[in-house]
Amino acid sequence: MDRWIHPAIFFFIGALILPFFRGKAKKFVILLIPALSIIDVALMMEGVYGSYSFLNANIVFGRVDRLSLVFAWVFTIMGFLGAIYALHVEEDGHHMAAYFYIGASLGAIFAGDYLTLFVFWEIMAFSSVFLVWYRKEQKSIAAGYRYLLVHVFGGLLFFTGMMLYYYKTGSMVFDKILPANAGVAEYLILAGFALNAAVIPLHAWLPDAYPEATVAGAVFMCAFTTKTAVYVLARGFPGFEILAIMGTAMTVYGVFYAVIENDMRRVLAYHIVSQVGYMVAGVGIGTEMALNGACAHAFAHILYKALLFMGAGSVLYMVGTAKLSKLGGLYKYMPLTMIFYVVGAISISGFPLFSGFVSKSMIVAAAHHEGRLWLMGLMNLAGIGTFLSVGLKVTYFAFFGKESAVQPKEPPKNMLWSMGLTSALCFIIGVYPNMLYVLLPFPVEYQPYNLHHLSEMLQILSFTGLVFFLLVKKLAPEDKINLDMDIFYRAGAWVFMKIDEKVIAVLDSLWGEAYRAVGLSLLFKNARLSYGFDRKVIDGVVDGSATAVKMVGFVIRKLQTGRVQAYIGLALFMFFLIVWILLVRI
Amino acid sequence: MKIVNYIEFLRRNMKGLVRVLIVYLIALVIFDVTLSRHDAHYMIDKIYAFWTIFGIVGCFILIKVAKGIAHLFLGKDEDFYG
Repeated sequence: MDRWIHPAIFFFIGALILPFFRGKAKKFVILLIPALSIIDVALMMEGVYGSYSFLNANIVFGRVDRLSLVFAWVFTIMGFLGAIYALHVEEDGHHMAAYFYIGASLGAIFAGDYLTLFVFWEIMAFSSVFLVWYRKEQKSIAAGYRYLLVHVFGGLLFFTGMMLYYYKTGSMVFDKILPANAGVAEYLILAGFALNAAVIPLHAWLPDAYPEATVAGAVFMCAFTTKTAVYVLARGFPGFEILAIMGTAMTVYGVFYAVIENDMRRVLAYHIVSQVGYMVAGVGIGTEMALNGACAHAFAHILYKALLFMGAGSVLYMVGTAKLSKLGGLYKYMPLTMIFYVVGAISISGFPLFSGFVSKSMIVAAAHHEGRLWLMGLMNLAGIGTFLSVGLKVTYFAFFGKESAVQPKEPPKNMLWSMGLTSALCFIIGVYPNMLYVLLPFPVEYQPYNLHHLSEMLQILSFTGLVFFLLVKKLAPEDKINLDMDIFYRAGAWVFMKIDEKVIAVLDSLWGEAYRAVGLSLLFKNARLSYGFDRKVIDGVVDGSATAVKMVGFVIRKLQTGRVQAYIGLALFMFFLIVWILLVRI
Repeated sequence: MKIVNYIEFLRRNMKGLVRVLIVYLIALVIFDVTLSRHDAHYMIDKIYAFWTIFGIVGCFILIKVAKGIAHLFLGKDEDFYG
């Protein structure tokens, strides 16, 4: 196909026309938009499209290559699955926010220059925050504001880096940066990207905001922001050693919190930090195999993490809480939800025949291949924590364990369908990994189903299970929240408010008094002086200018007749004049 | 629902289930020992049942450390931030 249609256009137009539909037609449109975008991506050919010159910079909307395509595939597929899951949501604004969010993510991955990337980057932050706010609870509104402020901060880091980069190189082209050439500008851009990838210690916005989002909103949010960041890191910063180390640290940090958290969706949110850590580490290792692994893992992760958030969201939607300390014995009432959740859980843990087994292991194997045994060991430790927290702890305390008072029903059909389809995809990718491998940016030689790898994963997972059942009492969920990096800006805000109340307000009133006493009388004297200067000196010097202004005012008064049709006529006349000038000039 | 009946059947026969799982764990270790180690480059690839030990020790440490630190200072009441 010679012509290229930006898949984001479907989502942007869809968001704008959606409010004009009602009932079944609306549901049809909600599903049609992402379906069209999938077809669009399927028909796409590699190349550079939509290139314009703007303010001395070259704007590229469509850099289509294997790296951007693999993300486009999973983003559009996820858009479709998420749309099914959100089908029952009444508010148009919720769907619109989700569509702007998905569209902006697609815009970001096809962007070939920093300027375009930055614009879409900001649209993502400002649209996704509505998915938090639509929960309409006090906590969500506060969490949404924190989310937005942190992302604005990240955007500023990125913007500053971008400007310095332009100053340094004179180019806005977004391409691979060599670690040896990286200076302040590049590291500022990297920090902006890292904030969106939830790299510690810039990660706290994620487990803060995602658990407060709407049931359907969290499903969208867990897919796009962090994975767009993984894409831009893979595009711009492969082979940066700091990413390999921070990524591995993230894998362990995330599961550490996941083990102690109580809220189901917060466990999963911390798990995003952990899982994105694998991808960031893959980017940091930077070999072809590691980059392939990062992309494959992003693809598989989007699906099973969304599936887990769908499962946890179903519990929240039907029971009213996702706190493990208040749940238990749900397998009787929500068996389908439980099965789908477990499929997600064993996919993320990397059980053979499910998607995590074929994607995560690529990164671990790349670390092994490069002789980075510490990284490999820590990633496998995080693998233990993954199965322990998401696989065993949540499943056990929500769906089994002690009986709780609640007797919910299964969630609405659209949610079940969405979970079923996503589960099927997790399974299909696990059984036919080549379906995923052919999409990856580099040729794949890795074969996940070999006896050593099977033995390694089964030992790790099975013996984790053994220790879990021996120590299950230790893991009983508690009605607690856990401190994290967000305490710094939460406490910072509190300190700021106190300073504002106690110090600034007092200073302000003192200053006001002083001003009234001293300043005002000075001001009056000053005004008298300058008035006299104006009357006597200026008018004397520019003689007649005041009179001229009076005359022009008289003419304009004639034009301003107050009649609307006259204004419209004049406006049209001016419009045609401008168009005529433009056409003649071109 | 059939799935529910199946789960309840397993729950009633916990002892049998545990026995099957223990046999499975032992089989896993034996399977690992029989694997060839000709092309092993690194230490961890040569040790028999390395990942079994890693799984047990890793999981134990993770639970102890995480819960320990949570009780020490990380865990706060739910209205901590107001």
